[in-house]
Amino acid sequence: MTAFQLRFAGAGTILLLALAPVLLSPFSITLLNYIGIYALAVLGLVLLAGIGGMLSFGQAAFVGIAAYATAWLTVREGYSPWFGLVLGLALTGLVAAILGAVTLRLGGHFLSLSTIAWGLAIYFLFGNLPTLGQFNGISDIPPISIGGYALASSESIYYLIWSFLIVALLLAANLLDSREGRAIRALRGGRIMAESLGIDPFRIKLATFVIAALLSALSGWLYAHMSRFVSPAPFDVNVGILYLLMAMVGGMAHLSGAVVGAAIVTLLKNSIQDYLPVIAPGASGQLEVVVFSVLFILLLQRARAGLVPFALRYLPRLQPSTPLAAGSLDRRHQPERGQPLLTVTGATRRFGGLVAVNDVSFELCAGEILGLIGPNGAGKTTMFNLITGALPLHQGRIGFLGGDITRRAQRQIARAGIARTFQHVKLRKTMTLLDTVLLGTYGRTSCGFFAGTLRLDRAEEARARAEAIWQLQRVGLADRAFELAGNLPLGNQRLLEIARALAADPALLVLDEPAAGLRPPEKAELARLLEALRTEGLTILLVEHDMDFVMGLVDRTVVMDFGSKLCEGTPAVIRRDPRVQEAYLGGVA
Amino acid sequence: MKNSIVAAAIAASLWAGTAHAQITVGFVTSQSGPGSSIGVLYDRGMKAAVEYASSLGAEKIKLIQLDDGSDPSAATRNARKLVEENKVDLLIGTATAPSSIAMVAVANELKVPMISISPITVPATDSGDRWAIAMPQPPSLMVKVVVDRMKRDGMKNFAYIGFSDAWGDLVYNGAQKPAEADGIKILTNERYARTDTSVTGQVLKMVATHPDAVLLGGSATQGALPPLALAERGYKGPLYGTPALLNADFVRVGGKAVEGVQVSAGPVIVAEQLPDTHFSKKISMEFRAAYQKANGTSTTDGFSAYSFDAWLVFLDAAKRAMATAKPGTPEFRVALKNAIFTTKDLVGTHAIYNFKPGESYGVDDRSLVLVRLVNGQWKYEP
Amino acid sequence: MNGEIAAILAMDGIASGAIYVLIGLGLVLIFAVTRVIFVPFGDIAAFTALTLASLETGGLPGTVGLVAVLAVLAAAMEGTALVRARALNRLPRAFLFYLVLPLVPAAAVWLAAGTTLSMPLRIGLSLALVLPIAPLLDRVVFRPIADASVLLLLTVAVALHFALSGLGLMFFGPEGVRTKPLSDVVFDIAGLIVNAQTLLIVAASIVFSGMLFLFFEFTIQGKALRATAVNRTGARLVGIRPATTGTIAYLLASLLAGISGVLIAPVTTIFYDSGFLIGLKAFVGAIIGAMASYPVTALGAVLVGLLESFSSFWSSAYKEVVVFGLLIPVLLWRSLSMASTDEEEAEE
Repeated sequence: MTAFQLRFAGAGTILLLALAPVLLSPFSITLLNYIGIYALAVLGLVLLAGIGGMLSFGQAAFVGIAAYATAWLTVREGYSPWFGLVLGLALTGLVAAILGAVTLRLGGHFLSLSTIAWGLAIYFLFGNLPTLGQFNGISDIPPISIGGYALASSESIYYLIWSFLIVALLLAANLLDSREGRAIRALRGGRIMAESLGIDPFRIKLATFVIAALLSALSGWLYAHMSRFVSPAPFDVNVGILYLLMAMVGGMAHLSGAVVGAAIVTLLKNSIQDYLPVIAPGASGQLEVVVFSVLFILLLQRARAGLVPFALRYLPRLQPSTPLAAGSLDRRHQPERGQPLLTVTGATRRFGGLVAVNDVSFELCAGEILGLIGPNGAGKTTMFNLITGALPLHQGRIGFLGGDITRRAQRQIARAGIARTFQHVKLRKTMTLLDTVLLGTYGRTSCGFFAGTLRLDRAEEARARAEAIWQLQRVGLADRAFELAGNLPLGNQRLLEIARALAADPALLVLDEPAAGLRPPEKAELARLLEALRTEGLTILLVEHDMDFVMGLVDRTVVMDFGSKLCEGTPAVIRRDPRVQEAYLGGVA
Repeated sequence: MKNSIVAAAIAASLWAGTAHAQITVGFVTSQSGPGSSIGVLYDRGMKAAVEYASSLGAEKIKLIQLDDGSDPSAATRNARKLVEENKVDLLIGTATAPSSIAMVAVANELKVPMISISPITVPATDSGDRWAIAMPQPPSLMVKVVVDRMKRDGMKNFAYIGFSDAWGDLVYNGAQKPAEADGIKILTNERYARTDTSVTGQVLKMVATHPDAVLLGGSATQGALPPLALAERGYKGPLYGTPALLNADFVRVGGKAVEGVQVSAGPVIVAEQLPDTHFSKKISMEFRAAYQKANGTSTTDGFSAYSFDAWLVFLDAAKRAMATAKPGTPEFRVALKNAIFTTKDLVGTHAIYNFKPGESYGVDDRSLVLVRLVNGQWKYEP
Repeated sequence: MNGEIAAILAMDGIASGAIYVLIGLGLVLIFAVTRVIFVPFGDIAAFTALTLASLETGGLPGTVGLVAVLAVLAAAMEGTALVRARALNRLPRAFLFYLVLPLVPAAAVWLAAGTTLSMPLRIGLSLALVLPIAPLLDRVVFRPIADASVLLLLTVAVALHFALSGLGLMFFGPEGVRTKPLSDVVFDIAGLIVNAQTLLIVAASIVFSGMLFLFFEFTIQGKALRATAVNRTGARLVGIRPATTGTIAYLLASLLAGISGVLIAPVTTIFYDSGFLIGLKAFVGAIIGAMASYPVTALGAVLVGLLESFSSFWSSAYKEVVVFGLLIPVLLWRSLSMASTDEEEAEE
């Protein structure tokens, strides 16, 4: 399926939606209105939880804030509903920014629990503030009017709701395909990878949180002017959980899952209401909740990924368009060969009683390849983590490019020019190779959320893509640019990580066991690549166990054992050193 | 979506053949959620009503019932569904004030008459037209009767404690004017949630003001929580309340602490104690009999009687409307609405109903009596 | 606010807190061993209270049906799993545990329905009936997804809460219940009125906290439970079956929930949905204890009770806002003070 076919299908769907009021019964339109409103809020949840990994039970509270804001403004103060929209968005965004700033540093289930907490707190606030009508709510909310025409009937507001929804979907899709969108997609699975690429996870999480809240606000505004009445009940934590159910049914990792999930759950609730009295007359209202929860549990047990991924398997795959080569991103001037690049002085790191790195000092000069070797448990990876800022030092200094990076955060070090790969490959399995390498260019590009959503970043994106393709070519993976990173064998995954690191245009490339898991011909390829990089002026620091690989490649080595530096020098010198032989072999040969 | 089109097509083709004169009524109540304790009672009352009279003339009345789970969104959706899909001639509902108000908005928009069985201020349409009435005594009247009795009993002030929800608001707001008119001071406005385990803090504050009396703004089982706490703190003064306390669980859980509480009540509560000349006696006994037959238990609660009275109003109005229009048509809905709003001197279990266009309520002072709880039974206190 | 009022409020707060302690302990126990934040825990406590009330009025509590259905389901699932694993020799024991044992109290209650029972018998039957529910739920709902992320388990737990409270509404109706107190005695201590029921609750929470502490420190089973919590794989390597320890944890916790239900039913009106809010407030206490330390959990739960009591005095309407608002800084504090397990977030 080509992009053109996809657009054609999209246009056809929009046409069908536009004709719906003519084709369907009035109650179906009512249902579609509810589906559209829910889908907006669930879209925010998909972005937040499905893609960003922040499970929130409290989105309904944001819907409520906007609904109450517009209700108050239009009923009590007499302004037009469009002002209510502005107030709703502004107020919800503000509350979300504050809540997010406070709670988003929490990880995992703590964050989700906090969403229950503030969801409940806000709900009880709604019910207790006198200006908001307390538990009686605010009624007589005026309908939205466009140019004098009041959208009072189901059909008229239907168009508004679905226009908003379609626009929101398109903008969200744009966002996810842009620089910051890739950063959002990189959130799930741990901070360290994102930070090593210069991404600030907290800022991205906060932005995603606010975006999700704004979508909920839109949903709330439409809800208030459609029902013409607000009370606390529809903004309870129970409804927040219902949104989560909708997202999970549809498929949390896909934007379309929001619409599919909202539709299925709404229609299911409707038909349960119709058919349950036939099966169990009398207690049907109460049985509804139970039936629903049981179905939810079954879904979570059997089909966690939801419906959309299941359906996608049967639909023809979208053929990606080959990107046009269009210029390139600015490259850095590599420092003069031989200049000191990285200086480690007296680095020490403890883990409780264990001293993992003990007063280690060495220097790395520009344009050389330095190998860090030593037996298992010597502290090599810890040393790497100290250099890249993943762990703080207890004592010592690290200097890079003339500046002191001892106390700097990981992402600042990444931006300064150190790029790394990991001992256990850190990739996002569902991102394509191209997107993975594009992630590496994050520090070199600057288009933000607005530019990404409104597609104003095309020029920069094109340049970044050209860079990414080039890096993939260098590691030999360009022909598989649109495959998912998770489908690659381990050796290729390592090469992919290197391509991603190169895409950041670093001055220093730090490789943690790059050859592990590679077959001999692959290792030879890798060695050739690294040598080519050295010729270009790139400095490389690597950890390896394969002695043949290391000794043939590096200019100098530093040997560590039990956290301390044993000795350093050229491969030939190291090989003859008795201390090294003792460390590796347990005795002098 | 496609299935709806096919189903609608089939249904339409089947339906076109028959020319129905059947009246369809849509009934929404809360069978789950916080409003269910009252909602279930309304449901039973409706069952009694249908047992009492399930047809009008030769035609059987079709009743479609839906549950709103105490959620106004669901109530709105249900109301829309009943009108748009089931094409009801009349809406009756529901158990909570917010949900009832939401339903009235739909009734106004889709031009279907509605009888609200919750005491609400019925909103009018943008053109000032009214499509809905409210059955029960307005909360302000319920509270006024109680406050007037407080004055008669010589109370100079009282402390208020009620639910932190719509009902608590209604009672408190309803007490303001009568208290002012009778020269009685309201000392506190304490609130507690339906799910609270303790009201010690609130009660301590109340006792500290040394009130002459206490007005209770709760209902059912949880309505007994303040009296129990007050008794623990040594409060021995009189208790007053609204018909929301006319509940067997309130009496059982309250035990000795609620002995002697006085509440305003619809006459149906003490139907068997009423003199035979009282307007409500005969119809209330018929209601009781129908209730027993439909639900298998007897009752002295007032909520179910509201459903029953709503049915009486509907029957009376429908009979008049059928003379001018055919059920199932928009003209019938208009005729039914007009007939409802011209209800005259209709004798119900709670009141003699007189509805006038432009007004939501149709009851007067005859609709409330004072009852006192004596030895676990409600006694008529004229 | 004078000294007397403060004392009354404090006592009230401790009484509520004591209930939250029992439930909080159970929550921490289950989380520690199974990584499930067992949200429906409060519902189980409520079920016990409701079942007891139902027995008091001579009715047949719907809990019987729930236990029967769950027992059959669990036995079927376990049976299928064993047959697939060709471990037929373990079938009889599995059936005994999942089918026969739960059905015994269910049958007893069913036979006894309508008759008047003595109070100890009523309490005993209620406890025995409710005890199997959580382990059976574990087998039916959580065991199939035992390796899922904590977030997924949390979502399932929340869904389960809805199912249980919905069932509660169906079985017991929307009205609340209060059971007869175990003791009507009222003490007058230095002008303060203290009833024996409250003292019982406080005493129970102290006793059970102490017993849990002893169990975990000094018995082999307790240590096995702790081992499973720390490292499931390691525990399996030394011969501990995580499934078994999970079941023991659920059983113990059920006992706590049941006892707390029996104890609070006389002093508080319990509705079909009371469990949720009580569970959440107990949960705040559990978070204060970092979901790991029992003594701190107990202290935290008492703190929540006190906070609730005092804020209901100052501003009764905003009480819930305060209590749940409290959860956020507590979460922050706890999350920061615990070592950040960054890479624990597995990609779905």
